[in-house]
This record gives sequence, C-alpha cells and structure tokens, in this order.
Amino acid sequence: MEKKYGVYLCKGCGIGESVDIEKLKKRAALKGKVPAELIKEHEVLCGPEGLELLKNDIKEGVNTLIIGACSPRAKTEEFKFPGTITERVNLREFVAWTSEPMSADAQSLADDYMVMGIIKAQKGDLPEPTILPDLSSTILVVGGGTAGLSAALEAAKAGYQVVLVEKEAELGGWGAKLYKETPRQHPFEKLEEPKVFDKIKEVESNSNIKVYKSSVIEKTDGQPGLLDVTIRKNGNSETVKVGAVVMATGWKPYDPSKLEHLGYGKPNVITNVQMEEMAKKGKIIRPSDGKEAKKVAFIQCAGSRDANHLPYCSSFCCATSLKQAKYVREKNDDAIAMIFYKDIRTPGQTELFYKNMQNDPGVLLTKAEVTGISDGLNGNLYVEADNTLLGEKIKVEADLVVLATGIVPSTRAPQEYLDGLTEAGKKGDEAKKVYLESTQKPEFILNLAYKQGPEIPTLENAYGFADSGFICFQYETRRTGIYAAGCVKQPMTMADATEDAAGAALKAIQSVEHVAKGIAVHPRAWDVTFPDPLMIKCTSCKRCTEECPFSAIEEDEKGTPFYKLNRCRRCGTCMGACPERIVSFKDFSVDMVGSMIKSVEVDEDEFRVIVLACENDAYPALDSAAIKRIKLNHKVRIIPVRCLGSMNLVWVSDGFSRGIDGMMLLGCKYGENYQCHFIKGSELANYRFSKVKETLDKLQLESDRCQLVQVAINEYDKLPQMINDFVERIEEIGPNPFKEF
Amino acid sequence: MADATVVKPDLDFVKGVIAAGGESLKKCYQCATCSVVCNLTPDENPFPRKEMVWAQWGLKEKFQGNPDVWLCHQCNDCTAYCPRGAKPGEVLGAIRKQTIKQYSSPGVLVDIVNNKSLMPLIFLLPAILIGVILSVMGTFKIHDGEVIFAKFAPTIFLQAVFTPALIFGLAVGIMGMRRFWDDMKRANKAFSGDLNGSIVAMLKEFLSHDRFKKCGVSADRSTSHLLVFYGFVAAAIATAIGVLYIDVLGMESPFRFGYGTPVKIFGNLGALGIIAGVLFMMSNRFSNAEKLGAGSYFDWLLISVIAIVGISGFLAQLLRVAGVAPIAYPVYFIHLVFVFSLFIYLPFSKLAHMFYRGAALTFLKYSGRETQ
Repeated sequence: MEKKYGVYLCKGCGIGESVDIEKLKKRAALKGKVPAELIKEHEVLCGPEGLELLKNDIKEGVNTLIIGACSPRAKTEEFKFPGTITERVNLREFVAWTSEPMSADAQSLADDYMVMGIIKAQKGDLPEPTILPDLSSTILVVGGGTAGLSAALEAAKAGYQVVLVEKEAELGGWGAKLYKETPRQHPFEKLEEPKVFDKIKEVESNSNIKVYKSSVIEKTDGQPGLLDVTIRKNGNSETVKVGAVVMATGWKPYDPSKLEHLGYGKPNVITNVQMEEMAKKGKIIRPSDGKEAKKVAFIQCAGSRDANHLPYCSSFCCATSLKQAKYVREKNDDAIAMIFYKDIRTPGQTELFYKNMQNDPGVLLTKAEVTGISDGLNGNLYVEADNTLLGEKIKVEADLVVLATGIVPSTRAPQEYLDGLTEAGKKGDEAKKVYLESTQKPEFILNLAYKQGPEIPTLENAYGFADSGFICFQYETRRTGIYAAGCVKQPMTMADATEDAAGAALKAIQSVEHVAKGIAVHPRAWDVTFPDPLMIKCTSCKRCTEECPFSAIEEDEKGTPFYKLNRCRRCGTCMGACPERIVSFKDFSVDMVGSMIKSVEVDEDEFRVIVLACENDAYPALDSAAIKRIKLNHKVRIIPVRCLGSMNLVWVSDGFSRGIDGMMLLGCKYGENYQCHFIKGSELANYRFSKVKETLDKLQLESDRCQLVQVAINEYDKLPQMINDFVERIEEIGPNPFKEF
Repeated sequence: MADATVVKPDLDFVKGVIAAGGESLKKCYQCATCSVVCNLTPDENPFPRKEMVWAQWGLKEKFQGNPDVWLCHQCNDCTAYCPRGAKPGEVLGAIRKQTIKQYSSPGVLVDIVNNKSLMPLIFLLPAILIGVILSVMGTFKIHDGEVIFAKFAPTIFLQAVFTPALIFGLAVGIMGMRRFWDDMKRANKAFSGDLNGSIVAMLKEFLSHDRFKKCGVSADRSTSHLLVFYGFVAAAIATAIGVLYIDVLGMESPFRFGYGTPVKIFGNLGALGIIAGVLFMMSNRFSNAEKLGAGSYFDWLLISVIAIVGISGFLAQLLRVAGVAPIAYPVYFIHLVFVFSLFIYLPFSKLAHMFYRGAALTFLKYSGRETQ
C-alpha cells in the first residue's frame, strides 16, 4: 500500500488550552518528516464536522491517519476507518490532563508523542487477515455429564454441529447416579428428580448432535477451525474434523481409602457417593447388618479443606449432605441426621435450602472438628468432635457415618503424571525411562499433538484444575479454541455447571467464527494481525516454541519453528522471546517500538524516562488516573505494548544507548490469582528482566535505572505516584552518561 | 479423648420445645448475637446461645438443673436483634415450660393445662366443682336483698375449698423447686454457699425488679409485672387481714367494713394494680408482637386468667355496691372459678415461674456465679 499521510490534531477536551498547536504542528512536521500542509487541526475532531474532515480526506486518498486526540481507548467507534492505518496519539490523557497547561514541558511531551505516533504509522503496514482454508465450525464436547450435555445442547440450538464424546456407556455423568437433586426452585424445600435424563433425551434426539458413547479421544491435532480428533470406540478409530472444543470432563471423588482417620474402612462408614447409591436402592441401612439407620452422622469436608488431602472446598458437598439428611428424614421421621461441618458453604440459592433443612427438627447441625470415629456397641460408631458449638468436646453415637468427600478434577491425574515425567526427564534419560516403566499411565483426555504437551495445562498450585484466565476470563484455557466447563475448571453445583456450559459453548462458537474471519480470539478479539517471522534469519533456538503461552508454535522435523496461526492469541510473547528479533506484526514490531524509543528528544540537562506499559492493565490504569487528573511527571514518555511478554530486551539497550535516563516496565500481576491477559506474558517478562542487569552492566549503567513493576488495573490511583517516585530515584542516580554522545 | 462428653440427642425433646412455642428454634445458626445483646446474662457462659444449640440437639439432660433459662426474663432483646428470626426469647420461654413440666408432678398436667383444645374443660371442671358444692350447700343461687357474697359462698366454703387448693398449688410448686434446686447443685457442682444471704439478695433484687429493669427493647414489661406483682401482694394482704379477723381472732369478716379501712384499701389497690398491670402487659405484647413475637399459648393463658381474676373481682364489687344481684352473683361465681384455677394450676401454668425463677436467681448468688 502506498501510504498517503494525514496528521490531525484535536483541540477539544482541553488539548487546545494545554499545548501550542501551531508549535506542535511545526515540530511534528520537522521531526516526523511530514509535509506541513498535511497536518490539520480541529476544535472537536470527534464531532460531526471533525469526522467529516477526516472522511473527506480519506475519500481524497489519505490512507494513513495519525490522530492526536484522546486515548485510543476512547471514541473507538468514531475513529474507526476500515482500510486505513489509523494511529491514535494520546494527547488528552497523557498531556492535557496530566501536565501543566501551556508549559514547555507539556509542549515537549506532546511533540514527542506526536512524533512517536508518526513513526509508528510510518513503520507499520495495513494488516490483512489470514483465513486458513477448509475450516470446520463443528464443536466437540468432551464429557457427557451435566456440563457436557448442556454445552452440546446450547451449541446445537445455536445451529452448530456438535460431536459429543463420552467415555462411559451411558450419558449423564454423576447427575444420572443421584437419587434426588438439591432443589433449584423456590421455595427450595422439595428435593427434585434428577434433571439430567431429560437432557440426555434432548441430546440424543437432536439431529445436530452426534454422540459417541464408550469412546475416548486418541489424538487431537491441528488448530482451532482445523482440529483433527481421533475418536476410539470399541477398538475402532475414526477421525473427525472440528473447529473448537468444550472440555467438560468433570471430576472423580476423592479416594476415601485415604480417610481412615475418619473411619473409612469400618463397615458402617460410607461416602456420599455410596449414600446416593443406597438411597436410590431404597432404604437407608447399615451395611453391617442391613438394619435401618436411625442416627446418621455426616462428616463434612472429609478430606477437603485439609492440607494433607484436598486443600480446597468442593462447593457442593454441604448441599449434598443436607439433601442426604433429607433422605434420612423423609424415609423415617424418627431418624436423626447429624451434620458436623467446618463451615456450611451453600453457594447461591442453595443457602435457602440450607435454611429450610435447618428447620427440620431431626437435622442437627454443629460446627466441629471431627477428631475420630470409634467403635460402639452393636456395630454402632461414636463420632468424636472438638471445637463444637456445644462448647465442649463431644462424643455422639451414630449407626451410620457418611463422609462428605470432595472432588478431584479429571485433569489432575494426567497432569501429575506429566509433571512426574518432566521431573524425571530433568534427571536424565535413564530416570525418564525408569519413570515410564514404573508409573502407571492415567487416562489422558485430549491427547493433544502439541509441542507443549498432550493435555490442557493446569494452574500451578491449583490442584489440577484446568488453567484459565481465572480472574478475568474463566473459560479460556491455555489452549486456544478449547474451553473448560464445569467441575474440570473449578468445583461447582450442577445448576452452576449448566450455566457454565452455556458460557463455554458460546466461547467455542466465538472461536470458530473468529477463525473464519481470520481474527484473533479473546482477548484481542478484533485483531487481524499475526506474527510474521522473517524465517531466513531463524536459528531454530526454539525459545519461541517454549515460551509461547498457548503452544501456538510447532517445530518441523528439522526443528524449525512454524506457527499454527489459529492457536495464536497475538500477544507477541514470541516477539519478545526471539533473540534474532525476527518476529513482527504489521502494526507492532521490535523495530517500531525501538524507533519510537529512539525518537524521544533527549536534552543534556533534562531527564527522560520511558515507560513500557501493558495495554491490558497498566495503560487503562494510566488513562483512569488521567481522568482523575492525577498529575504525572512530565519527564515520562509512555509507550504501550501488547503484553509485557512482547518486550524485547533490545529496547532497553536502545533506550539507554540513546541517553534515556530510566526505563520502567509495567506488567500485570502474575503467579497465583494472576491477571495477565496472556497468562504467562508478565511472568516471562519478569524472567527476562533478570537479564536486564547484564545489558546495563555492558553499558556500565546502574541496574536501578530499569525497573519492572506489576500493577493491577484497580491500582490506577497509586500508579502515577509509583512512576513519579521512580523518576525521582533516577534523578538521584543522575543523568545517563550516554547523553553526551 | 477421655474428657469428651457423651451427648444423646433426643428428637422428642426438640419436637416438644417446638410444640411449646419454640417453633423458631431451628433457625438459630449460632452467631451469638443474642448472648451479646442480653443485658441479663452473666458474663461467663452466657445464655441464650448455648441453650439454643442444646435445644436444637435435643440435649434434655443439659436442662436438668440449668438455672440459666430462668435467669432469662424474656426481655426479647435477643429476639429483636436475632439476624435469623430464631426468637431465642420465645424459645427459652418454651424450654421453661418444658422444665416446669419436668419438675411439677404430675408433669402431664402441664400439657393438659396448656392444651388449647382442652381450654373449656380446664375451666369447666372447677366451675362444676364449685357449682356442685355450693348447690349442695344450697347457696348456689341469686340471693334476694342486699348483695352479700358470703351468702353465695360462705366463709366455711372458702376455707374448705380455696385454702387446700392454694396449699396444693404451693406444695407441688415447692416440691418441684426443691428438686430443681438439688439438680442445680449437682449439675453445677455447687454444693455449699450462703443460702440465707442469697435468698435475701434475691428478694431485694426481686422486690425492686432491678434485674427485670435491665431489659432493653421491652423495658416496659418490668413495670407491668411490678404492678401485677404488687397487686397480688396487696390482695394477699387484704386476704391475710380477713384470715386474721375470721380465723385467728374469730371476729366478724372485715370485708364488710367501710372503704376507708385497710382491708378495702389493700383489696382495691390490689385489684386495680392487677388490672392495670395485666392490661399493660397485653398492650405491650400486642405492640411488640411483630418485633418480638406475641408470646405462646402458655403465656396468654396465664395473662388471661389473671385478667379475668382481676376484672371479675373488681366488677363483682361494683355490681355488689350497685345492688345488681342478677349479674353480681354470676360475676362473683366466675371470679371464684378463676381464682380457684389460678391456685390449683399454680405449679402447672406459667405462674410456676415464681418457684423456678426464684430458685435460679437464688442459685446465681449461692453458687457465686454472680456476686451478691
């Protein structure tokens, strides 16, 4: 595309009163090398007249617009001009609203930002979407329980073809094994018949859904829109092509044999799963002699919220025990159900069911720390408990004890196996071989033929639950186009799983639709750019294939990396990783940001600090601070990056060798409860940052001159102060000696 | 875990408390707001939180010799502040009824007396009894001439029927109180103390209603109770003067003296105190019903009986003075029936609280839980 430039300056929202527009125009023309007549100003650029001006120019052939106005996060609809390169320069938030009006400092800020915008437009190119051929919009649902059935129905009802794979011979999952369900309807009193059977019927009669029962997935290869899934059923394998996946593979009960301290192993101690089976058969009896149980004790959190077992809460066991207490009470009005709990946790409207059950005279509840189960007479048991609401250690007789065991996500066993394998691998090939021979391989679920491993990565320290952008984007796993729903993601009730499944189905639909348009999926859901490496310079170091948070980069048989483009979320982590700096996007590249940094005017007696700000949290936080008119030190120049993971270390040397005095890198929170939109970007930036010292040492500069900070979007009120403090520190260190050169 | 207490949940006890007016019992989730807002509870082992969980678990034996349910005066501050509507005040009232049942013999009478459907019967029986005796004596009719109630119910009748009724009521009550006292000693392992001093301290506190006055949201209740109580004291003094004149000195009945005499002054002040107090109680209960609960049948039975006793007594006097014999004698008959009921049901109705609360308050000092 032959570029025809147009530079526009808006004077609205206080910009006109903050900077001398005439001076700014001259400076931009000079430094940006743009003919002065192409630089126009307007009182209110986003108003009808202003927009008319822009549209007329575009009609006249202008195709590269640099608009100096408000933040690119504002007025997005007004300044949307398809088919053009439109570069927004944030004069309002970063100049007019945060610095001294009509000061020399404000003027120089505006100059620098305008020049950076012009450079970015000059270096950039108009992106064209890449649409891969022969895309499928079929949605694969793995798991035929409540979540899986719901996801399949939601997708089918929205008009998509669905393939549903269930490992068991019948659909329904746990929901089909229940005697009754916890009430979901007002007044939350009556137990309800299991709803899953209606769903099964609906799924089996829906012509959009193809069901594979007694089937497992042997292999999943490809990328969103082009996933080849090999399904094995009765020894025969069949490969189907799908576009996206909803993974609803649910959970397994915690192994009760580990709960000997709570009496498991004694004949009259059973689990909540066994209780369902018993209630379904009829009477609530003591397994030891078949006599009707009249004093039933429920031990909550049996192996849950316990550092030695499952440290988390499984969310539904309290409601389940209350429901099972109702089984006991409904079958015999003289029977009592005693519930020993750590805390009753009945999320959402299950709370109302709890209140109703509490009102039953035969349901006795106490907070308690169960210290043991001992034998009484005639097969009866004594529940011994401390820290009870009764104010003392108690011992109470029961003829049946039910352990409310929690859930283990189906993803946990494969993850543990793979973690073990990685550990063994670190010790050498021999150890790995021993591990493979001695360890029983658990059931794998998706068997992804991906460079970074065969299963969905699970969140570190989250006990095997599928990793997702938990704080912000629950459904997103770290494998694009694969969305987790239900208990594989976090413990939840069936009512919650039903809703969760609808969300995951919609995400899967979004994924196939975006892939069909050649745009990224969440979180850069508008983005048509893609990483475009200059392969001729690739050294096959594989850093990109290892660091990509989404396993979007594979290696061919020679070990040369190549992109599975539809897996890519366009974060630019590969761009930051590449030591050869060969990865570029049409509107974002190492050279582009480097040139912007280098364009900053560096005066001998002025300090200049570059802030590289993550677009997802830090940049909006800076905008928010500006809206609150919190002043920002005028020595700072902010440059947005897609993700701090896209930060290439060369930018640091670019800046300091040009005489920049300090650099601050703003990324998202990482680790537990991370908020990084690209999951690993901020963490990787932090890892790379440890190498910054080397760079600075090479330049013989103080390592304090460069700082990396994690900020959350809600810390906007503190952020300007953090930046201002950093500038003060730099001033203490003194000017960069490279300024003189 | 050698020191663990073996607890034995009793579902029937739970159902009993619920049936006795504690239908909100199970709503309690043990936040202990009640114990915090209660102005009457001792600081150590405060009520009513622990009583709520004991009752929820049907731990009958915990209430054996438990003074705390009687320290409660049902101010209902707890009920007003309870975030779950568990109405601890009402529940403790229901538990007190269970205690009365446990200690009064035969305990089953508590249930009979407090059975709503038997209400006509429990008043009909005394009515028949009194009616039959008076008929046999030949006085059960509207007498001509000046209205003189002694014509209708001669002194000898009152001595023969009402005195034993009162003695029966008091004896059963005192026996229950003794058992309760022993149980309290056992349950609280308090076997010695200053009994006389404790009784004096209790009486001082009681006569001034100082404890009752600590009630927050229903502070007016102490005033109404005080009125009714002193009303009865005055009536008792009037009766005592009668007994002194007739039985001790063998003189003419003082009830025929003029209005300036002590017997009339005490009698009328007593009647007015009872009527004013009981009406005040009723209005309190109605105005607080939404916030605190209107009370159980157990409560209302006693209130009604006292109201009828007071009003019928006073009305009978007015009718006597007015000389309206055809109404005066029936009203006097009603008065007799209800006074008799008050006496005979004394240990089985809510009135039995005088024994158990008295004992519990004494025990509070006796055991040293609260200093005198």
